[in-house]
Amino acid sequence: MSPDNHFVLRPGDGAYPPQLELTPRPPRVLYGFGDPAALRPGLAIIGSRKATPYGLDCAAAFARCATEAGVSIISGAAMGCDLAAHRATLEAGGTTVAVLGCGADIDYPARARETLAVLRAGRGAVVSEFEWGMPPARGHFPARNRIIAGLASAVLVVEAALPSGTFSTADHALEAGRDVLAVPGSVFFHGSAGCNRLIRQGAAPICCVEDLLDSLAGAGLIAPSQRPAAGSATGVTPLAPESSDPVLRALLAHPTSPGALATALDVDAGAIMCAIARLEADGLVARYPDGRYGPCSPR
Amino acid sequence: MTQAVVASSTIVGVDAIAVEVQVDVSAGLPAFTIVGLGDAAVLEARDRVRAAMRASGYDFPNARVTVNLAPAPVRKHGTGFDLPIALGVLVATGQVPRSAGDAIAVGELALDGGVRPVPGLLAHAIAADRTGRPLLLSANALPTVSAVAGLSARPLTTLSALRQGLPDPGHTALADVNARADGPDLSEVHGQPAAKRALEIAAAGGLGVLFLGPPGAGKTMLARRLPGILPPLTPAEAIESAVVHSVAGLDVEPLLAGERPFRAPHHTASTAGLVGGGSPPRPGEASLAHNGVLFLDEVPEFSPAALQALRQPLEDGYLTLVRAEGRVRYPARFALVAAMNPCPCGFLGDLVRSCTCPPAAVDRYSARIGGPLMDRIDMTLRVDRIDPGSLLRPGQEESSQVVRERVCLARERARERECGAPAAAGAALLRACALDAVARRAVERAARVHRLSGRGVTRLLRVARTIADLGRVDRVSEEHVLEASCYRALS
Repeated sequence: MSPDNHFVLRPGDGAYPPQLELTPRPPRVLYGFGDPAALRPGLAIIGSRKATPYGLDCAAAFARCATEAGVSIISGAAMGCDLAAHRATLEAGGTTVAVLGCGADIDYPARARETLAVLRAGRGAVVSEFEWGMPPARGHFPARNRIIAGLASAVLVVEAALPSGTFSTADHALEAGRDVLAVPGSVFFHGSAGCNRLIRQGAAPICCVEDLLDSLAGAGLIAPSQRPAAGSATGVTPLAPESSDPVLRALLAHPTSPGALATALDVDAGAIMCAIARLEADGLVARYPDGRYGPCSPR
Repeated sequence: MTQAVVASSTIVGVDAIAVEVQVDVSAGLPAFTIVGLGDAAVLEARDRVRAAMRASGYDFPNARVTVNLAPAPVRKHGTGFDLPIALGVLVATGQVPRSAGDAIAVGELALDGGVRPVPGLLAHAIAADRTGRPLLLSANALPTVSAVAGLSARPLTTLSALRQGLPDPGHTALADVNARADGPDLSEVHGQPAAKRALEIAAAGGLGVLFLGPPGAGKTMLARRLPGILPPLTPAEAIESAVVHSVAGLDVEPLLAGERPFRAPHHTASTAGLVGGGSPPRPGEASLAHNGVLFLDEVPEFSPAALQALRQPLEDGYLTLVRAEGRVRYPARFALVAAMNPCPCGFLGDLVRSCTCPPAAVDRYSARIGGPLMDRIDMTLRVDRIDPGSLLRPGQEESSQVVRERVCLARERARERECGAPAAAGAALLRACALDAVARRAVERAARVHRLSGRGVTRLLRVARTIADLGRVDRVSEEHVLEASCYRALS
């Protein structure tokens, strides 16, 4: 961390992000590291800390897509979806802003240390409304979420349970008049209930690359004339292959343990394991940390 | 001055070592002393011997009685010296025929003169058999020692019976191996096809399994059924395991009947409880599971020190306890079955209940089983709670016996191929797998996609080889490799 590229912004300063100043409760001071120019309007990508590979892959895929359309990505550097979005943006060569719930000079969570260091070095920015050195605290995070929503022109929720911090960011986004976008999840999985509820409440469902590009254009982040064609420049392949393989269809529909799948499809366990392993080697499904198999993005 | 010498033995580890009980009855102030590093239980023999002799109608000599337990430097434990001491006194004072002292005597005396069994009689019997001498012991312990074929066991009910000299050899019929008690059967488990398959592979290949799943998924129920699908104990294995149980004072008859031991220590077990220890040293759960199954439920909850102590048995198949008074070796070769919840609250990945653990706690939880234990777990599988409705539906589940027959066939195949040298790793394992080009590519791909370490690849091949053996195939094919890759460790 280099001490000379820190900045302190107040409303009325030239560099204070104007879109943030217009929100109902703009932070009185914005402490930060990195490039203040990175605080331009962008797309916020947020999601659960307890993300499934599905959520992580959605965060990464849509971050890549938006980056290639020239949009910066804003998130909260939390474990799970947030970090996946930051990392995918950096890998794709884009600009990303991390808003922290502690002092901007604190590495929290520890897992994000490397990513935060890259951002502070100028590949983006790390900002916070809390004093230098302020440790993270439970009450800080809803306030942090308000800034994420304030900096962004649209907020994409990739995976959220109900109730959750992610869901509260979506509330802040509505309050600030931002577009809320959500990636639908399984109706059987409580970890997806937040996203599905948002869609029911009127959030734009993001089911493919086209949907995201439409929404980015709608939020004014890309000019309709400059809209890149999906599938070519975006680098985002279709999110799931079409298939008639019953094992793949079942696993894509919702994560399952091999035993439950063998029972459901009434197939010999050995054959099911073999079929799952084949799909996994092809990168079509992945094993989750809890031992179930489920969808993931194509590698 | 009269003297007598009676042979006995004492337990060190799982062996009985010979002890000579020397009795000297000489004139002097009446006294009864026992020398030769006996513990409190040995010294208390004085009162039991005196009372038992009187109750049996003998006279306790009104003289100076000195008992020496030789070799004197070895510590002696327990109550097994009551009988040889009493016998020595009786022989020295001429109250029983001298021939009564020809046997190796091991037994505890009751105050009424009754003879009671002591722990470790099977070890004493093996030692007696080795020297070719008869063993004088409690009549109640006859079934325990019946497995030692060459032994001349001399059952004694009360001390008074020694007046006629050494009792005649006693016999009990060996427990019938085929009449083994029915343990829990695999057919009682509804559904869970993948877990049953994993158990079958583990049984056939002698592999360690980890079941991962929410509370109530049936992890324990499955583990309990592993002994039933393993081949029955061979007579030699049965004796090896039974000796450990005998030394620990546990029932040995199921083992002698061919039933494999199943030990499920609670996660609060101390290191000494798990691998043995204490003074005098006693075998731990790992040794009691010798030739059977050691089941560690809630494995991340075990103390790290206790799990670490399992390193030696997992690698070498035995345990060495080193104490100031010497070292003791216990056998401990077991099939390992571990079970854990996917996270501290248990409900990560459950469809109905949501997990309440912070993400970092989930990582820390699975990281708690590190090192040697994880290296011995060849297969990891998720087990789910099953739909309660299917419990009530009558299903046609395979019985343990059907599975056991397949396991025995697979083991037979492996034995024939390996000619006594198990292909555990390296070139031997590769040769045993005889991979074709497609299967080789599948291994390489699995190693790359799943970022397997060298050990991980070895485990993959070992599991694949066993799956092929179960399928009665000589060469490991792509399907076997693919199935095996589903059982890899959680990264």
